[in-house]
Amino acid sequence: MNAILVDVTRCTGCEQCVDACIDRNHGDPLQAQLARATTKDGLSADRLLSIAEVASGRFARLTCMHCVDPSCVSACLVGSITKTPEGPVVYDPEKCIGCRYCMLACPFHVPRYEWDQPVPYMRKCDMCADRQAEGRPPACVEACPNDVLLFGDRDRLLAEAHDRIDRGGGAYLPRVWGEHAFGGTSVLYVSDVDLGPLGWPGRATEPIPDLTEPLISKTPFIGTGVACALLAVNWVIRRRMRLAAEAAEADAATGEDAE
Amino acid sequence: MTDRTRGLKDLLWALALAGLVATVLRLWFGLGPTTNLSDNAPWGLWKILNMVAGVAISTSGFTMGFLVYVLRLERFRPLMKPAILVAFLGYGCSCGALLLDIGLPWRFWHPFFMWNPHSFLFEVFWCVALYFTVTAIELAPSVFEKLKAERVTKALHKVAFWVVIVGISLSSLHHSSLGSLFLVTPQRLYPLWYTPLLPLLFILSAMGGGLMFLVLVRILHAHWYDREAVFGPTALERELFLLGSVRGDGGSRRRQMGRDMPMLTDVARIATGILAAWLLLQIYHLAHPAVWSTFVAGTWETWLYAAELLITAVVPIALVWRPQFRRSPGALAVAACSASAGLLLNRMDVGIFGYFRSSGVVYFPSLVEWALSLGVIAAAALVFLYFVENMGVFAVSPAEGDGPRPFRVSFDSLSRVWHTALRSGLERTTLIAVLVVPLAGALMYPPYARRRTVDVRAASRLDVAGDSLRIDGDRTGLRTVFSHEGCQKRLGGDSSCVSCHHMSLPGDTTTRCSSCHRHMYTETLIFDHDYHIKAVADSLSLPGPFPSNGSCVYCHAEGEAKTEGNAKACVECHSEWRDEYANGTRDLARAPGYLEAMHGTCLECHQKEAAERNQPLLQRCSTCHRSLTPRGSPEAQLARRR
Repeated sequence: MNAILVDVTRCTGCEQCVDACIDRNHGDPLQAQLARATTKDGLSADRLLSIAEVASGRFARLTCMHCVDPSCVSACLVGSITKTPEGPVVYDPEKCIGCRYCMLACPFHVPRYEWDQPVPYMRKCDMCADRQAEGRPPACVEACPNDVLLFGDRDRLLAEAHDRIDRGGGAYLPRVWGEHAFGGTSVLYVSDVDLGPLGWPGRATEPIPDLTEPLISKTPFIGTGVACALLAVNWVIRRRMRLAAEAAEADAATGEDAE
Repeated sequence: MTDRTRGLKDLLWALALAGLVATVLRLWFGLGPTTNLSDNAPWGLWKILNMVAGVAISTSGFTMGFLVYVLRLERFRPLMKPAILVAFLGYGCSCGALLLDIGLPWRFWHPFFMWNPHSFLFEVFWCVALYFTVTAIELAPSVFEKLKAERVTKALHKVAFWVVIVGISLSSLHHSSLGSLFLVTPQRLYPLWYTPLLPLLFILSAMGGGLMFLVLVRILHAHWYDREAVFGPTALERELFLLGSVRGDGGSRRRQMGRDMPMLTDVARIATGILAAWLLLQIYHLAHPAVWSTFVAGTWETWLYAAELLITAVVPIALVWRPQFRRSPGALAVAACSASAGLLLNRMDVGIFGYFRSSGVVYFPSLVEWALSLGVIAAAALVFLYFVENMGVFAVSPAEGDGPRPFRVSFDSLSRVWHTALRSGLERTTLIAVLVVPLAGALMYPPYARRRTVDVRAASRLDVAGDSLRIDGDRTGLRTVFSHEGCQKRLGGDSSCVSCHHMSLPGDTTTRCSSCHRHMYTETLIFDHDYHIKAVADSLSLPGPFPSNGSCVYCHAEGEAKTEGNAKACVECHSEWRDEYANGTRDLARAPGYLEAMHGTCLECHQKEAAERNQPLLQRCSTCHRSLTPRGSPEAQLARRR
């Protein structure tokens, strides 16, 4: 599974990666600029990657984290979002009906919608899955002038991240963001400042689909269970009504006999 | 007899027409321009009020089915038809609004064929679609009876029990699943509303609130069509009865109360029982230490949550608890109204208000959203009234059974006039439509519906120092740090905005840097002569147009050739720059060369930061000049130059 390792200490916030991303995703540069100026986190349907200042002089990229067990994949009712074995979480616009549940479900608040289009689709980073298929790294990784981004196998990047922390001698905080959060993500961060402003949870390690999967897997049984219980209750009540009617009839008959 | 429902119908028609206008606007302009939905508030009024709350309030269809068909409580039979009608129309409302809410409405059938069984929305979709069909089948006998298709009616009555069982089973699934929809947002929903108990809370409040809504519907129906059934005889009738001039049924206490009141009271008692269970569950949720600490924090959410508990459960329970209240139709109506409103509030809390804090954005629906939302509900209410008047949904007291039927053509033999639906309401409805539709159209016109403010301060989020913005003034895709305040002062203060920002060109927010810094290596004269002529004339209040007003001599020596050489020095007027002029760092009339301007804004800071942070990369040329290498596909480059 491929992943991207972000070394926050090396990022100068030059936003070359953002430009490369806008190019690659055919975003409108003017709309992207407007989004950068007007939105809280700089993300929009024309700007799928954004750089946020997480602390004074420390920049970190904000985009789809490509969770290992993504909430959006479990949420999409037509299955238009899928996690590929290669790592990217990809979106099939041909299936989408535009319900926007993925936008609600994403813990990082990443999917964006083409609100101004008459035929709108969801937009988010797909880790350049098509480029990966050609054996090239994602556009942002290629564009980075300062080797902030490292692209490769997730396990190897995790090892590299821990190696950097160990060898850094206190230059990094002892945590790899994305190693465990929400069951792990395919975008990993090492940093010397806290990345809370990006929307990382404190210590939550449970994948979000685990909150719903135990319930929804029982759905067919709950449905048939309720139906069976209703039939049973109804059978008991009918039987008692029939018995009561028979008893009343018998009473009436004995009453007539007595007369 | 006057038609009591006339005013109500006029209002509903006006709302429905406004809804129609809103529908056209939404389909024509798309979601963005017509709604206040955004990436921070992806789900709005249509999804939460019409779908989540609308479905919840229509639960009486299955709860009454449970009481009448499964528990065989035949005394509730008179409420069965209205309950089914409420359910059918409630679900119809939801489906209608939802169809317009989704971005690609023509793909609404996708979930039938493209499955994701891990999604609660998928389950809700299937259950709602199936249950909507079930309510249609349950409602069908009323229609076929009217059409006198007896064989169909008989067949439908035969399968009624099984249809009800399927309906209850589906309902128990999707009413809880509507709560489970929000289980995926533990990070975002405010902790007062987020709980693993959501599915249970949702189904309980839906059952209780739905039954209370049915009670409300029955009381309102009685108010408009059949007062005696609920409100009992009027005071006048009672007096006449006591005087012996009207024959009664022996003057029992029952006679004082409406015929249907005991039944309604029983339904309200069942409903408040369910609501009490909901309240207990809420208290259990509240007892969790983390939730309790949020509750006592006293934010506005606390008050909203408390109000929700109060009107959903506490007020109805208190009212129905006391015999003197629950026997009074007025108090029962208040209790029913309170519970129904509480149910709606609860769904709005969980679906809309609970997300305000985490998204940092307050969502308020646009006019189009309100119009469509209420319009769909109004249309459903009109259909309800049509069914009530023509399909015998409620058993009506014989005395008032011949009430007005404005939807149907009738002949009044006294006045010898045909009453038709058009005739009876035409004048007022037309008047309202003529006034309301253009007004609604005008108000909903997209530019009014959504204001798009550009907050310049927001752009300075990544400031390097103070007032600096990072802009891409010449559209090369490369940003530079730009001292907005400095340039603004230089160009003449607040009145100079238009010299860079062309307000009339959407998207083109600023002028290129190169329009002032015109040469790459040499400086450019940017002195604006026309501007100064005007400024001088204005400040001295000189009469007449230039040059007859004599403003020339203000700057140029009289009688000499008017050149730059014999003009006043800038600093004579712009005294605030005296120091800079004295040491030669400032020349207001000249912009430095492009290269100097760009490097001047960046380099100094880059070098300083590189040294301070021990980041030599910061001052490497390639940190900024990355565009020298070709990027992206040819199409992308083309798209960028668009």
